[in-house]
Amino acid sequence: MRAILLAAAVVLLAGCGGPPRADAPVTVVFKHARMFGDDPVPRLVAAFERRHPGVRVKTEALGSSSDEQHQFFVINLEGSAAARGPGFDVMMLDVIWVPEFARAGWLLDLTPSLAPGELDAHFPAAAEAARWNGRVWALPWNFNVGVLYYRADLLARHGLGPPRSDAELARAVQRIRAAERDPKLEGFVWQGKQYEGLTCNALEALWASGTALLGPDGEVLPDTTRAAHALARLRGWITDGISPPWVSAADEELTRRAFGDGRAIFLRNWFYAMDLFDAPGAPVRGKVGIAALPGRGAAGPSPGSTGGSLLGVSRTTRHPAAAVALARFLASEEAQRVLAGGSVLPTRMALYHDPALVAKRPHMPRFHDLALAARPRPVTPAYLMLSTSLQPELSAVVVGVKTPERAVADARRQLAYALQGLR
Amino acid sequence: MTARERAERRAAIGFVAPAVVTLAALTAGPALWVFWLSLRQRVPVFGIDHFAGIAHYAFLATDPRFWSAFRVTAVFTVASVALELLLGLGLALALRGQRVGRRAALALLLLAWALPGVVTARLFEWLYHPAAGLVNVALGVALNWLGDPALALPALVLADVWRTMPFVALFCYARLLTIPAAVYEAAAVDGAGRAATFRFVTLPLLAPVLLVTLLFRTLDALRAFDLMFVLTGGGPAGLTETLTVYAYRSLFQTLRLGFGSAIGVIVFVLVMAVAAAYLSVLRRREAAA
Amino acid sequence: MTSRRALVADVAVLVFLALYAVPFLWQVLTSFKPEAELLRVPPLWPTTLTLSHYEVVFTQSAMPRALLNSLGVGVLTTALACALGVPAAFALATLRVPAAGPLMLGVVASTAFPQIATVSPLYLVMRALGLRDTWAALVLADASFALPFVIWLMTRFMREIPRELSEAAALDGAGRWRTLLSVHLPLTAPGLASVALLTFLFAWNEFLFAFTFTATEASRTVPVALALFPGVFEVPWGDIAAASILASIPPVLIVVGLQRWLVRGLLAGALTE
Repeated sequence: MRAILLAAAVVLLAGCGGPPRADAPVTVVFKHARMFGDDPVPRLVAAFERRHPGVRVKTEALGSSSDEQHQFFVINLEGSAAARGPGFDVMMLDVIWVPEFARAGWLLDLTPSLAPGELDAHFPAAAEAARWNGRVWALPWNFNVGVLYYRADLLARHGLGPPRSDAELARAVQRIRAAERDPKLEGFVWQGKQYEGLTCNALEALWASGTALLGPDGEVLPDTTRAAHALARLRGWITDGISPPWVSAADEELTRRAFGDGRAIFLRNWFYAMDLFDAPGAPVRGKVGIAALPGRGAAGPSPGSTGGSLLGVSRTTRHPAAAVALARFLASEEAQRVLAGGSVLPTRMALYHDPALVAKRPHMPRFHDLALAARPRPVTPAYLMLSTSLQPELSAVVVGVKTPERAVADARRQLAYALQGLR
Repeated sequence: MTARERAERRAAIGFVAPAVVTLAALTAGPALWVFWLSLRQRVPVFGIDHFAGIAHYAFLATDPRFWSAFRVTAVFTVASVALELLLGLGLALALRGQRVGRRAALALLLLAWALPGVVTARLFEWLYHPAAGLVNVALGVALNWLGDPALALPALVLADVWRTMPFVALFCYARLLTIPAAVYEAAAVDGAGRAATFRFVTLPLLAPVLLVTLLFRTLDALRAFDLMFVLTGGGPAGLTETLTVYAYRSLFQTLRLGFGSAIGVIVFVLVMAVAAAYLSVLRRREAAA
Repeated sequence: MTSRRALVADVAVLVFLALYAVPFLWQVLTSFKPEAELLRVPPLWPTTLTLSHYEVVFTQSAMPRALLNSLGVGVLTTALACALGVPAAFALATLRVPAAGPLMLGVVASTAFPQIATVSPLYLVMRALGLRDTWAALVLADASFALPFVIWLMTRFMREIPRELSEAAALDGAGRWRTLLSVHLPLTAPGLASVALLTFLFAWNEFLFAFTFTATEASRTVPVALALFPGVFEVPWGDIAAASILASIPPVLIVVGLQRWLVRGLLAGALTE
């Protein structure tokens, strides 16, 4: 009997990818933000503990805002704190922090612990955010992509399909508003407030205009004409009346509520919003369509940016094997399937065609196609610095106090100085 | 020096030493260190820490965002202090003749002054809410106070005046109480009307107090941080971003300790220059008196 | 002034004060308004009053812990600043301290320092000492501003005590510490109370250092907790109002109960010279 149990234990441990250890009880601390609604993490953690006898997992909650979480990690991972050990082993990271933390030396290089091609099961955009400098630093955990939501009922009533270009979007807005004669019905709402969400909207505008934030050699806004063009597009939506002026102070929640209450025709937001539109009793239930973000001219739709989180392991963890095992378990297909049953969207492509999940969320296959076309925000350790320096310039254009050309020039100047010597 | 004087000197040093050491470590030391930091490029995340000379200052000299923050700081300070002085002085004069509710008035004023800046910020954030804010409801408009480029800075100034005006009112009121009634009676006997009494009797007696409160209020306005950081975050589009907010963002949002310190040094020099200017004016007045 | 004019003036002032109180009163009302009625104005007055926001603040937010942190940091800062500042003030007022002039000038000048200038070196100090996210970091940082203030004001108060009293104590054989404890402290007790209150108020309200040096609920003070008040889907205005009222309680207590001492401390800083 003992021999069988021992063999089973060895097989289990080998299957988890970690080397067999002496069985001292080990506690691994997992820091993550609490999930909305029914939080499946405790169940997953319990399942992990069952498979890894001798490993206890302690979960600790992070603050609710991304900035707060970032400040927490910086304070606890940087400087002398790091030498003592930060007090946690596995951490939930926003997509944009991975290269920064990797560059700072706070993350354990996961490349040796992973099977070759282990990241291939995840969306390319999600996997790209996990890699930096040719190594893998975190495991993709949950996912969000910027998409265009539209009122399928209103469009159908006027014989319109989802717009593939700005011109089509403008035409749809004008037609529908003229016909509906509802002064409270807005056209296209998006996030224009001075915060990270604005950077996402701006990135999508840059991509639609055929340029990007960083050039191949790291130059900021390399194509100034196209960049100005892209920013002018954002401002243009407001001056042309397609978007209401209050988008300049709007974040995800404000715009989601406006659309969800039926007060807007088009909305740019993330995957997660769809669940709320489809909730029982929601005013727009059954009336919402999902499409790719409109492009400019004849090029067709353009990619959305990505959001979500990944799981990283602290470089100074005292239990690397157990911590890596936990991260791999939480990012595994079965764990992501459990998470997808809750309020979170997985990063594994196969799950978007899983019958049980599709039954719960019929739009998953649609999300799958949009996620394939998605692009991550620039994967650079300096991303946060770039974004926070860029936001005031973007806001200045959206609010109309600066011309797009001036804003691009000012942004280039500021960011070039900030990036000096940072590689 | 006699033995007694030496003993006194030793005792004096003993009494003062703990405080001086603490001040040197926490106040004077950092004040000097920040100058040194401003001459370096120091970015912890990237492990960068090297001497950069006056590179940051050279950049800031032609940085539009810096000059915008400078302008915002100047406008905020001048507008806020001017309004505080006018309102505070007016209220003090009115309270002096008030017969009912003076104690309650003082308590209310003190309360507004004593509240944490963050509480005031959230108070006004709610008042300025575009849909449900009391300001919009009372005025019957739907203005976006904190999001409109033309309205954000005035809205911020109003919030600051609300919480700082009591300071001026209190000081002026206390001074007014010490002016004996006989002085006013003499002025009345001389046939002075209310305006003349104010100009030639009250104002000169209040002048020292006004100058001192002007000094305190100006320094505080230049250094203000919590109100604008929480109420507007420097937005929209950096139109309420003062030098302190710009410095803070550079220091702790992007962890550029050298660059942020340079902005901090500029604020430091600005504040000390203003203080020195005021003090020299005060001293000249005292010498003339 | 005719009595009619006086009446009009009285009423005008009362009206102004009523308007002036509105921001605070509106927040108090909001904290008791049911969630559903918050965004539906007019009508301004709620149909019922509810304690649900306070319940949320007490049971689900970081405020209870933040109140404790603020109390601890406030008391410790005041204690530290007074413990270091009072002896120094005594020496500056009654003894011949070497370099007293420059020292006093430095003390007064440091009350004008902007916090934004000293925050980056202090950050590095706290980082080196491993004190980030602890009460100690805030106590030390707040003391850096409270201490000069205490020294400045207490020196003034102590200078007002006639030399004859300390000389009499010396003749009685009292050492310098005894003199401080038995003569100067009792006589300046009201002034010290004022200074201590102002120091506590400053530490309670302090935001910049607290925001920079704290990372979790372990050390987060009330202003930081209020600034970071979480809203999962929407900004919880009612909960924020309740949290704001709670954050205002010590200032309210200090103002209402100790108005005289508070005013004395404020005025001492500027009037006598």
